[in-house]
Amino acid sequence: MAEEKGLARARAVYRNRRHRAEELKAAGKKVIGYLCAYPPLEMMTALDIVPFRLLGDINEPISKADSCLPSVVCPFIRSTLDLGLKQRYEFLDGVVMAHSCDVAEKTAHIWNIYLKPDYFHFIDTPHTAGPSAVAQHRGLLAAFGKTLEELAGKKITTRSLKEAIKLHNRQRALVRQLYSFRKPDPPLISGVETLQVMVALMSLPVTEGNELLEEVINEVSRRQDSPPQKKARLLVWGSILDNTSLIEMMEGLDASLVMDDTCVGSRFFWPDVELTEDPLDGLARRYLVDVKCPRTFRQTNDGGKTKDYRADLEARFGYLKEYARDWNVQGVVLQSLRYCDIHGYEVPQVKDYLKGLGLPSIYIEHDYQQTAMAPLKTRIQAFLEILDRG
Amino acid sequence: MTEKKRPINRLKSMYPLRGLIDGMYRQGLSAAAEGKPVAWCMVNWWQGDPILKAMDVATIYPEDYGAVCAAFGAAQGYLERSAADGFPSHMCGYARNCLGYTGRMMDAGGIPEEAPMGGMPRPTLLLGSGSLCDARYKWFQSLGRYFDAPLWVLELPHPGVKEGLTPGAHETNISFIVAQLGEFVTFLENLLGKKMNRDRLDEITTDTVEMNNWWHKVNELRRARPGPMHSRDFWSSMPASLYMAADPGQTAGLYRRMYDEIKERVDNKVSAINTTEKYRLAFLELPPWHSLGFFDKLAERGWNFVIESWAYHPPRPIDLNGVTDPLERLARYSYHWLTGYYRQAYDAGEWWGYFAYPYLEYVRDYQCDGVVLHPLLSCRTATNHLTLVADRLMKKLKVPSLVIEGDIVDLKLFDPAGALTKAETFEETMDHYKKVRKEAGFSW
Ligand code: SF4
Ligand code: SF4
Repeated sequence: MAEEKGLARARAVYRNRRHRAEELKAAGKKVIGYLCAYPPLEMMTALDIVPFRLLGDINEPISKADSCLPSVVCPFIRSTLDLGLKQRYEFLDGVVMAHSCDVAEKTAHIWNIYLKPDYFHFIDTPHTAGPSAVAQHRGLLAAFGKTLEELAGKKITTRSLKEAIKLHNRQRALVRQLYSFRKPDPPLISGVETLQVMVALMSLPVTEGNELLEEVINEVSRRQDSPPQKKARLLVWGSILDNTSLIEMMEGLDASLVMDDTCVGSRFFWPDVELTEDPLDGLARRYLVDVKCPRTFRQTNDGGKTKDYRADLEARFGYLKEYARDWNVQGVVLQSLRYCDIHGYEVPQVKDYLKGLGLPSIYIEHDYQQTAMAPLKTRIQAFLEILDRG
Repeated sequence: MTEKKRPINRLKSMYPLRGLIDGMYRQGLSAAAEGKPVAWCMVNWWQGDPILKAMDVATIYPEDYGAVCAAFGAAQGYLERSAADGFPSHMCGYARNCLGYTGRMMDAGGIPEEAPMGGMPRPTLLLGSGSLCDARYKWFQSLGRYFDAPLWVLELPHPGVKEGLTPGAHETNISFIVAQLGEFVTFLENLLGKKMNRDRLDEITTDTVEMNNWWHKVNELRRARPGPMHSRDFWSSMPASLYMAADPGQTAGLYRRMYDEIKERVDNKVSAINTTEKYRLAFLELPPWHSLGFFDKLAERGWNFVIESWAYHPPRPIDLNGVTDPLERLARYSYHWLTGYYRQAYDAGEWWGYFAYPYLEYVRDYQCDGVVLHPLLSCRTATNHLTLVADRLMKKLKVPSLVIEGDIVDLKLFDPAGALTKAETFEETMDHYKKVRKEAGFSW
């Protein structure tokens, strides 16, 4: 795998995520699994611990998780737990999970009970984003740092944390640069390729991820074989997409996926961490306030006498307007996993917002299974026809 | 001719407690009619309700109204309306009922005429909560589509067992809740244009704790054999505490009367069922509100439901003497409700300290022979832990579980006849495990 470069390497890592992590582990590194976009990776990097994102597998039927998590909860979480129970994550030295959503919080305890990781830490990320919540979050990150230090047998220093923040911010800047290659028509990199790179980044130490990104950027900027031009340029919004099949299906039609707002994509990488004097301040803010996942409750005029719905929508989804403008988006696919409350409640509100922008959207729901993709194709096809008539 | 006894021996003292809920809806309507403030609230486990009471705000709970609409057959129309408005159908049935109701209310320019219990009047404010479930703040946020009532979301930290017990964590979490409650008070004062009367809050807080202490004592008596109070009486009486349906001082008196009635039953070995108690059971979580007659059928077979639903139980008493600030008392109290079992959970090596671990104590202390689990299609929160709990109960206490599926608003999902057949077979399982426990040296 080592000889492969750029997109080929990203694809190889995407297809065999654990390979490099296992090599690192064999070489004596510690590898920690994390769920969702909320555990601060910088703190692990600062201690030379490799963060490794826990993902599911839509090609693997869920069997073992049935014995500890009922079937009417998020199928992504169930799949991830199922992989854990099938020992696909046994190479990890431990896991860190956060209160990213209700089911993630509850599954964290279930994971701890059934998988008995040597190291386990739970960050009870607040739901709100006001000053007292940010202060609380900062304290929670400090507590996380302490348990990590025990695991690593060394201390996080201000300097090492700042260095780690710089490395991760560098990764974020490179991801934004890569995404800018999706602005031309046709885009220089497809949605499928982009997702493969994103998954690869979440499976490698930050320095290796940055090298990979540089290679990919170099390759894509000169490529002669860029994806073909398609009629529609789409943005996909919603709950986790960690497998390329849905995007493959869309890009198999007359559409290019040019932008995303999902947590294995822009939502994960977009905001930088501000380099504050005490680095925990910047981290606490970035991970609670700046990451724009609907799991955090935010509103304009917090504490005011009335609610201004339009202003609220603008504050919550204004970034989608910028994405649509800068990536020349013609339609938005709102997708959510079945049983995801966090995204489900958001759907009519994002729709309201997009309608205000004059951007057509479609909502699709799926249950995180390869077989569930086929019926969605007809709906996307119909949506593309509407866009075409536009 | 002797009067035929009903299968469940209902407590007389339950009726006035149950009646308080109707009163709560009436008070909401009359407050709105008089132009007084009304809040739609999520259950917040005594965190924000006492403050609203101290500010003379009438409170209504759309979660409860979801159950009301389901029971009166009005939910279907509201669910359809919420689907037409684009809300996915896999989400909480109570939430979708409320969203549909709100859509109808705004179209009608007032309470829709078909609304059961006189309906919920348009609110002055919304009180959401981050406790236990995401729906409980995301749902209220979605109501912004329909009206401009401001929303406040209360935080209650949910640490892991180990994290919650690390030195300093408890006090940090309390300070966070106190800060949040302080911000909530400022918001209310600003909204309502008046200052909160701290003495009044102090009194309400004291009464709330007193109310729940009596309610706790009631439930402690239920350890007796035969079980003196059936879960049906629990569910009928719990809203008085959980929704603070009346003045807590008055409710405390009603729970005290309930305590006296049960005490008399315990002293005279009077059972909650009118057949010999053959099996003692626990029920998790929300009951099938529309098919409560199911429990009568089971009572006829000697099934006594002696304990249930952790989330609807009051916390175990804690000493709040010496905590003078009422906001801090509230913070400590609600946090204790959630984390009050963490120390024991830690000692038992159990890492889900609320919602899961407490059942190990309940089932042991109330000497249950079996547990009925009721997974709900549209409520993750009441369902997530059930498989885990069943597994732990079997592994640690050799107590079997019976799964009966249902939903909170889609009433068709609960099949009483099928459930009864399952229950009959389950008796053999309970008999078997009685022997297993005996052999293993358990006391029941
Ligand atoms: S998809 Fe939704 S329910 Fe699942 S982990 Fe993400 S936010 Fe939670
Ligand atoms: S999902 Fe369950 S706990 Fe949450 S509001 Fe709905 S019924 Fe209540």
